[in-house]
Amino acid sequence: MLAASVLPAASVPAFNDDEEESGIIPPYLKEGDTIGITSPAGYITLEAIRPAIQQIESWGLKVKPGNSIGKRDFSFGGTDSERAADMQQLMDDPEIKAILCARGGYGSVRLIDQLRWDKFKLNYKWIIGFSDVTVIHSHLCRNFGIASIHSKMCNSFPDDWSKAEPIQVDTILSIKKALMGEKMNYTVVPNEKNRAGIAKGRLVGGNLKTLESLCGSKSDIKTDGKLLFVEDTGEYLYSIDRMFWSLKRTGKLEKLAGLIIGGFKIKPDDPGEEFGRTLYDIVLEKVKEYKYPVCFDFPVGHQKNNFALKCNVVHELRVGPRNVQLNEER
Amino acid sequence: MIKTPPYLQPGDTIGLTCPAGYMSYEKAATCISTLQHWGYKVKVGKMLGSESQTYFSGTDNERLAEFQRFLYDDEVKAILCARGGYGTTRIIDRINFKKFKKKPKWIIGYSDITVLHAHIYGNYKTASLHAPMAGAFNDGVVKDEHNGKVIEDQYILSLKNALEGKKGKFACNPHDFNKKGEAVGELIGGNLSLLVHLMGTVSDFKTKGRILFLEEVGEQLYNTDRMLYQLKRGGKLDKLGGLIIGGFTDTKDTDRPFGKTVYELINDVIKEYDYPVCFGFPVSHSKENYALKVGVGYKLKVGKGKVTLEE
Repeated sequence: MLAASVLPAASVPAFNDDEEESGIIPPYLKEGDTIGITSPAGYITLEAIRPAIQQIESWGLKVKPGNSIGKRDFSFGGTDSERAADMQQLMDDPEIKAILCARGGYGSVRLIDQLRWDKFKLNYKWIIGFSDVTVIHSHLCRNFGIASIHSKMCNSFPDDWSKAEPIQVDTILSIKKALMGEKMNYTVVPNEKNRAGIAKGRLVGGNLKTLESLCGSKSDIKTDGKLLFVEDTGEYLYSIDRMFWSLKRTGKLEKLAGLIIGGFKIKPDDPGEEFGRTLYDIVLEKVKEYKYPVCFDFPVGHQKNNFALKCNVVHELRVGPRNVQLNEER
Repeated sequence: MIKTPPYLQPGDTIGLTCPAGYMSYEKAATCISTLQHWGYKVKVGKMLGSESQTYFSGTDNERLAEFQRFLYDDEVKAILCARGGYGTTRIIDRINFKKFKKKPKWIIGYSDITVLHAHIYGNYKTASLHAPMAGAFNDGVVKDEHNGKVIEDQYILSLKNALEGKKGKFACNPHDFNKKGEAVGELIGGNLSLLVHLMGTVSDFKTKGRILFLEEVGEQLYNTDRMLYQLKRGGKLDKLGGLIIGGFTDTKDTDRPFGKTVYELINDVIKEYDYPVCFGFPVSHSKENYALKVGVGYKLKVGKGKVTLEE
């Protein structure tokens, strides 16, 4: 009797207030499972997520759009309370096996502290998204050590799948692979500015601006021994420089295993305010005293080639002269 | 105990440098002549009107070297940063404050210079001056051609008074969002973007029991909201003595409107707190920018009819 009562409890992972030692992998999905869709940040219509619903259903999964879809409070997908309630409901519903964020924008940070994690910690599931959803990835990683999927969201699914470009098909299908439990393996063309090397660690990261906005909060990531990936869009070079200083001055670059630079859509300098440094200069300057591998142009970011990455899961990064590989640990 | 650098005497020297962005000599000419008119000598650093072709007034090493030289130089009694822009972060960790700790002097500026204020207050418990920089003199000083008399506006004059050691006393108009009350505490603050940028770093600042002042320019409303959430989630807002909201000028919005004015969104973030709050205080990227001593104790009185901030 004693053994029987201890056994189920032991299968529940212990949670620290701070970070888990090893990543907790939510159960992968199988045919017939249900994905909930919610909008923790910007507003989106049911119409706009239909292509995503159709595509996901074609994978043999069921889709349940949450109450925040179609709701609107100016730029937000409903009020903070409405968005939080929707996320909470999907988190707590045992029928929902994964939660896909419909889009980014701005707003996740406004509801993250309203969420109750007690049920989720016992019944953890994949949360999917990027950009503003970096708040949720970071919070999950820092507080519970739970893995999540950094990938495109509903607003990136092509309206007409039959006319989709190969890169759109590949990137969307990478979400399916990640969700269904396939190991993620990426091989990309090397950039001449890369710094060669091999490193292994858990993947953490996301949108650089969002990561900076979490500094000093309980959702702030720790990066020691990890592979950090960052991407951003619409920022001036000086601002990108300042954000890399933030990474450095908050101790996030010193003990990395490796650094992965995704897409950076740079806002052109104003006339007379030319920054005079490239993204490469900015990054390499900050990491020159460290030895770990660095790769540029990894296909992650606000762009078509934005592949799914499993946050808080151990990967191996191989930056070589002929190619760059990022492989999930077998 | 907070250390207050010695106030200036007639004949003292002020060093003028650019630790961040480039500025031409012409743009600082009125500032230099006004400081001289006030009875100070001005040591103009090479970073002002330098040969630099980049965004910065010089390389990191050049900007650092000049700032360091002024810090070491016993003749220089105060360092006025001619302008902000961006760049102080790039050199802050390499500045040697060893001598400054023992023999502090006034460091003056705002915007990007917020980095210096927070760093010096947090690490060396020393007061500094959040105040108009060189460019502000162009709009704030008028020279009467007939008698050569110099007339400074109240904001430029507030810097003069601060340097002379006169205690600051400022008033501003009431605002509908103000929360009445009185608070006494050390002043900390500056540009919101820079303040959040320092969170989690060695230049991070404490706010408990203090009077925090914030100003911003040219920011997206959603980003301002995000920065306030960062302050809030970083525990910077819940235990304040009082809060001063300065100018949030030239705000920008997205195609899908944020739906609130900048003061409305600030008010929403802080509405749960009981400490006194005033909106529209003259500290900003506009002309309305009083010289405030970071680290020094002030009394903030937010009343029905008026708001005062008194050293």
